[in-house]
Amino acid sequence: MYFAGVDIGSTMTKVVLTDKAGNLLSTIKGPTGAEHRQLANEVMRQALEEASLQIDDISYIVATGYGRLNVPFADRQITELSCHARGVYSLFPNVRTAIDIGGQDAKCMKIENGRLVNFVMNDKCAAGTGRFLEVTATALGIKLEDMGDISLKATKKVQIGNLCTIFAQQEVVALISRGEKLENILAGLHDALAGRIAAMARRLAIEPDLVLTGGVAKNIGMVKAMKESLDCEILVPEEPLITGALGAVILANEIYTKAVAAGEALSTKARRLEKATFFGEEHR
Amino acid sequence: MSWFMGIDIGSAYGKGVITRDLELVASHAIISGANYRTSARAIRSALIGKGKLTDNDIVATVATGYGADSVYFADQKASDIVCTARGINNIFPQARTVIDVASQSTRVIRLNESGIVTNFTVSEKCAAGSGGFVEVIANILRIDLADFGPLAARSKNPITFGTGCAVFGESEAITRISEGIPKEDIAAGVNKALAGKIASLVKKVKLEQPCAVCGGGALNTSLVNTIEKELDTTLLVPPNPQIVAALGAAVIAATPATSQSGEKA
Repeated sequence: MYFAGVDIGSTMTKVVLTDKAGNLLSTIKGPTGAEHRQLANEVMRQALEEASLQIDDISYIVATGYGRLNVPFADRQITELSCHARGVYSLFPNVRTAIDIGGQDAKCMKIENGRLVNFVMNDKCAAGTGRFLEVTATALGIKLEDMGDISLKATKKVQIGNLCTIFAQQEVVALISRGEKLENILAGLHDALAGRIAAMARRLAIEPDLVLTGGVAKNIGMVKAMKESLDCEILVPEEPLITGALGAVILANEIYTKAVAAGEALSTKARRLEKATFFGEEHR
Repeated sequence: MSWFMGIDIGSAYGKGVITRDLELVASHAIISGANYRTSARAIRSALIGKGKLTDNDIVATVATGYGADSVYFADQKASDIVCTARGINNIFPQARTVIDVASQSTRVIRLNESGIVTNFTVSEKCAAGSGGFVEVIANILRIDLADFGPLAARSKNPITFGTGCAVFGESEAITRISEGIPKEDIAAGVNKALAGKIASLVKKVKLEQPCAVCGGGALNTSLVNTIEKELDTTLLVPPNPQIVAALGAAVIAATPATSQSGEKA
């Protein structure tokens, strides 16, 4: 008996496969394919291949994330908030606050005994999400994954005056031409983003243990800046991208096991490995 | 006869005018570029050339805008709010409200019959509420800014952007293009989103008619029409909407000098 959790994010698709006992068989992430969005099914195919399984071997599949709405190869959709909360809790049983910073949104979740009790999120303005770092890294001609390490060499933080990502992009280029050091600008960018995320998170009472997830949690400079902004220790999972998919697979296992125990028939969809549809698109 | 100069160094464009007393003689606009000082100097020489004057003919120069400090030859600085009000009052003395759609922000100014500011509001520095959004999407659509308005005007089915953010809007536009949505519907969607934000800004200071629109955004005729629809009014548009604040700066430069000469006479 096997289960799958699929987290289709705006940038990356993450798939986790487990057996009945919850052992991880496969953990795969790959690009969702921002323009054509045909790649989520490809990531699923790779995960199955890695575990030497066929899609029909999977008893139950839960999809989550921004692209969860119409996944032709999933049996059920569950919000990313519930899945993230569950995934983080499985890794850190003492978690009370989880902050997830992705490429398209940022959210802060309050968790009690693995259950989501409250949350705040921003998906309206890029300046409070990982996109802020993506855009400014591109403007500075550096790789996103190098930002954190470079920023650790900073001797000061250059204040970034612009909140708007578009204007910050122009500002960092001007700062370089004015002779400011790259590492100091990066420290300033991390500080600016961390400050905005912290302001959002403080709308909920922040309690330890605090766990940081999402692609931005891979940036060591951001982890440091978040620690300073929140004045709180921060735990980061070994693989901060997959907590949503992990939560999804755990919930898939639970839903299926509960239904079987109750003797209920679960509807499983025709498993077509086709491209997913995003929110808003079904109306057009 | 006395000539006066007004220089407005904005974040995107640097603009300048020469007036003879209060009449416009010459105007010039260039991209501000990285060095505002160089831009200010270039605007001055272009204006002097166009007016067939010499530096000594200019009685006084007033600088305004984001880069006003870089106008090293200016006699004084003035706020861009005050300059925009004076400039629009010079062109449309009847205007009681002016909407200035600039590259980094939008300003709505209420003014009296003498061009004195009575109230104003400035948008956050957010690309989605300013001309910056148009610049970003024009770049994605690979069209000149000048073609944006005429293109958008052809749309019958403007798209709706999902968020109020120009960065997310840029991604949405790319997706729509790949889906084969016509460019004009994307451009018109930008104008619709921007006009909505501008209209709520206008409501903050309350619209008093007649209302004028200026700044680089006023060159986008489809945006102007969309704002007119949102506000249910007709807007006054100057022939050269980009130079209004520079004109106001020249008016301020002329004001003390003419009153002095008046005293002498």
